Amino acid sequence: MPRYLTRFFIRFGLATFTLLSLGPVIWSVVTSLLPLSALTSRPPDLNPLNITLENYSLVLDSSRGLFSGLINSFIIATFTSAVGLVVGSMAAYALARLNLPGSNKLLLMILATQMFPGIVIAIPLFLVMSRTHLVDTHFGLIAVYLSFILPIVIWILKGFFESVPMELERAAAVDGASPIQTFRYIVLPISLPPLFATGVFAFIEAWNEFFFAIILTRINVKTASIAIAEFSGQYQTLYGQMLASAVLASVPVVALAIIFRRFILEGFVEGAIKA
Amino acid sequence: MQSSNDYNRNRYHLGLWFTAPAIIVLLIVLAYPIAASLILSFLRVRFAGQGLDFEFYGFTNYADLLKNQLFREALFRSVYFTVVEVAGVIFLALIAALMLNHPLGRHAFFRVVLLVPWALSPVANAVLWKWIYNANYGILNQAIIGLGLTQENIIWLGSPWLALNMILLADVWKAVPFIALLILAGLQNIPSYLYKAARLDGANTWQQFVHVTLPGLKTTLVISIVLQSIWALKVFDLIYVLTKGSPADSTVLLNYLSWRETFSNLDVGYGAAIANVLFVLMFMLALVYIRALRPRRIKAKDG
Repeated sequence: MPRYLTRFFIRFGLATFTLLSLGPVIWSVVTSLLPLSALTSRPPDLNPLNITLENYSLVLDSSRGLFSGLINSFIIATFTSAVGLVVGSMAAYALARLNLPGSNKLLLMILATQMFPGIVIAIPLFLVMSRTHLVDTHFGLIAVYLSFILPIVIWILKGFFESVPMELERAAAVDGASPIQTFRYIVLPISLPPLFATGVFAFIEAWNEFFFAIILTRINVKTASIAIAEFSGQYQTLYGQMLASAVLASVPVVALAIIFRRFILEGFVEGAIKA
Repeated sequence: MQSSNDYNRNRYHLGLWFTAPAIIVLLIVLAYPIAASLILSFLRVRFAGQGLDFEFYGFTNYADLLKNQLFREALFRSVYFTVVEVAGVIFLALIAALMLNHPLGRHAFFRVVLLVPWALSPVANAVLWKWIYNANYGILNQAIIGLGLTQENIIWLGSPWLALNMILLADVWKAVPFIALLILAGLQNIPSYLYKAARLDGANTWQQFVHVTLPGLKTTLVISIVLQSIWALKVFDLIYVLTKGSPADSTVLLNYLSWRETFSNLDVGYGAAIANVLFVLMFMLALVYIRALRPRRIKAKDG
């Protein structure tokens, strides 16, 4: 095949790929900016003069649950990633550097837990949490979210701590630093960027979670995902409002993913295929 | 000045202290519920007033499962969904990754394009497709009527097989980006001298793909297939938003069935039995994943 033809096919393929990936997203943003009357005319009336923020102001009305949902999602995702980082970074460092016996086995077990269906742990946890009045509380949901956040955090950070030069830690030891001082004053400071990136990743995962949320929340801690699903379950679906709420809930995490793309690509994507 | 013995003992103790919190958390939120789920599946659980009433039930829940036609159909559909979804995702992701690895596709813009569907919340993804598939006003019907492919609106989520496949399509769209990123990382780990050597031997593009790219991607592809199979078996959000299992339970897959039996029909033991079937399927896949990761580690140690 001549070179120019190859290049033509690749350009065409890349354009198709971009269109297919972004098209549905752009269409949902457009939909969220149009009034119902424009959406239900055939073909849809895409006159830019129709653009309105009405759907957004309606869904953010305090009676609709989306606003409090966004706040709940923020609280839960923040605490889940913070606790996950503190507990996970310590465990990851121990597994990477502190010569624990059986650390390889422990690591494989942690990895295997990533692959359990949520429903297996959701049923017993629901029974326990109903009895201890933890259903529909922030604390309960954060604890359950740690079940999938903690293994991811340990897995990503362990890979990072292993790449910290051993010489740095030896030098600290020669200078009389205890292991905990080495971790606190040598390893942690140079690990801040990957720690932060892992935290962002954990935040996105916790923010987007739906399955445990639908089982373990009732009224008080409904997350943004639950609020969106409720829009879609109404007898008469108001598509403009439904998509406005989907856009509002997606903007923070999509923005985070784009801003921190380098860390996500290097930390998580590479981590998944390299042990 | 401390002796090296003291130092090593300190490290060992610190290791125990550092792993303890994570182990305690994981014991409570993972190990305990997994064990409890196994036990529950051998019990008959009934809601009695305020509390629960447990009664030993032997293998009855599992026997009921095998007799139940909906379970067998859901199992079959889950396997169908997983196989077709994974095949579609891997195929499209491989094409996307090859294009993005070409000099024309190396621009950072395309990485951003991949991250958008990946980061989108699954529920946002589900409502987005609910709108696209809408029979009266959805863009899909407008587009195919506009192209003259059909005269009438197609009710995408109204008939059994079609609805299942439309859910599958939405799931493929969401899943391709991440797998494409994995494969892209795998492609970039293939040393370029292998391609040079192949070209010196006179290999054309296709031969380079078959003899250099595919063997180099083997581990990445195995891992992608396993991870994607696990995620496909777990599909829930799309079913919940798009069909709630309708029409006539034709989009009920295992995870959804387990959830519905437990939390809508309140048949906890039966729901747990279904969950355990799903668990076994996924655990077998997890073992393959761990196997796939292992050879590299041994190689790294030798080298």
